Amino acid sequence: MRKQHKTLSIVMLLVFLALAAVFMFPFVWMLSSSLKDKSQIFASPPVWIPHTFHWENFTQLFTERHFGAVILNSLFTAVTGTVGALFFCSLAGFAFAKYRFRGKGLLFGLVLASLMIPMESSLVPLFVIYRELGLIDQLWGVILPRLTSAFGIFYMRQYCMSIENELLEAARMDGCSENRIYFRIVAPILIPAFASLGIIFFVEEWNNFLWPTVILRSEDHLTIAVAIRALQSGVRTPYNLIMSGSVISVLPMLAVIFIFQKQIFAGLTDGTVKG
Amino acid sequence: MQNFYWRWQFKTAPYRFIAPFFICFVVFVFIPFIFSIYLSFTNWHGEEAKTFVGLANYKTLLTGREFWQSLLNSIIIFVLYVPAMLLLALIFASCLSSSWMKWTGFFRTVFFIPNITSVVAISFVFLLIFNSTGILNQLLMNAGVIHEPIPFLETPWWARISVSLLVIFRWTGYNMILLLGGMQSISKSLYEAAEVDGASGIKSFWYITLPLMKRLLAFCTVLSTLGTFSLFTEPFILTKGGPNLATTTPVVLIYKESFQNLNMGYASTISIFFFIVMMILSLMQLRLFREND
Repeated sequence: MRKQHKTLSIVMLLVFLALAAVFMFPFVWMLSSSLKDKSQIFASPPVWIPHTFHWENFTQLFTERHFGAVILNSLFTAVTGTVGALFFCSLAGFAFAKYRFRGKGLLFGLVLASLMIPMESSLVPLFVIYRELGLIDQLWGVILPRLTSAFGIFYMRQYCMSIENELLEAARMDGCSENRIYFRIVAPILIPAFASLGIIFFVEEWNNFLWPTVILRSEDHLTIAVAIRALQSGVRTPYNLIMSGSVISVLPMLAVIFIFQKQIFAGLTDGTVKG
Repeated sequence: MQNFYWRWQFKTAPYRFIAPFFICFVVFVFIPFIFSIYLSFTNWHGEEAKTFVGLANYKTLLTGREFWQSLLNSIIIFVLYVPAMLLLALIFASCLSSSWMKWTGFFRTVFFIPNITSVVAISFVFLLIFNSTGILNQLLMNAGVIHEPIPFLETPWWARISVSLLVIFRWTGYNMILLLGGMQSISKSLYEAAEVDGASGIKSFWYITLPLMKRLLAFCTVLSTLGTFSLFTEPFILTKGGPNLATTTPVVLIYKESFQNLNMGYASTISIFFFIVMMILSLMQLRLFREND
């Protein structure tokens, strides 16, 4: 019996290592292609490891394609969007979890409604409104629609439910205003929730493509996903540059998952399995 | 005076806390929604004055092929990938939650990486891999599996299969994490009791894990449904919605009509129908949540 377990365990490990290799292959290929000359991309026989590493694929992005600005833009939208969304979602979540007030049901209905109206179905009118407001080609324009999310409000509401009412009442007795209660008591309790949800928001914003591609125009205003797509133009697309841009976009996310895997997995399962 | 302010700030607190959401909802959800309905009755091309055309757009949509084709494409892609993906995620999750498996943390992370990395980047890599002269065709030909390159991106069915494979690659890990969470909440004593009664791994999986995971699997299915119908980036980059509209999902259609063909009025009409589809799906999701509570 013991022996059987041992062999089975080794077989399973080998099978999973093979599967992991399959799942990692696209990333290996991405890295390999990012260091190739344009002519080697579809070469036959395939080039696994380029003879000379064409690091200029990377430098070219920075010198000719504003990738310095592009990375900063992506960071700016991801950080600002995430911080803003965490703040607004936690405020609303706290209100829905801990207050009784008139119109609560209706307002919560609006949260549900916003969950049901996908942004994709309002692309055209949003674009028109943006044009009227002068938000086209602005980074703020990318961030604004993402400042509140129904999922975020649900998540925070769930988390705020666990806060003891006595704690809030005691603070009121001591003369704390409601704003102060949020900043002094609720926000510190929410730190783990901020971490899990924040990482999810950050990743989403970093990889966001549809809305930025609709509104961003100038080369130095693009976010990274849009900038990669913008390289695909002309008759002969420089796929080696697209791959080096992709490597640049993937690396920070790999760092994020290796540092924050606990929070990420907790965030995903909290929202669904228990919620 | 102090007292009055005190009561005021307490009374208004929840409204003040919800105000940012409410403003965003009105500006980014409600107004665009109403505006969409108005635009759908116009023949608007982005620049010149809007002409009211009544139900012309609706007629075009209902009698034309595009929209129905895009819904059909979504359904086909759904059928192609969801069962395969959920099966794969279930196998991964059950293996990773078994006590004989080593390095579970490592594998969990590896399978999740495709979900956290840029869709655009991964779609482009797949474009290279699945190209007719790409690495996959070369490997298959060298191994003698095929003699002709497979036109992964050039024929309707292969294009749909390629998009499905891309989606499987990106979302298997995500669903695996959800299922793992569910499996870890099943109490160990159930399995121990089964072992005492002589139920092996497969049997205990079939009689304990699966029934308890049913609801979670249903939840994953609903999530995948919503995801499939709002699929955009993968087909947009991998196959550009082609060939012959085969991978044009509703959102790809909306994007092309509004920002490439500048048929803003018609695109709004498609958006409204798309919204109705999504709403039906969301209501299904809500019902599922209710049962959970």
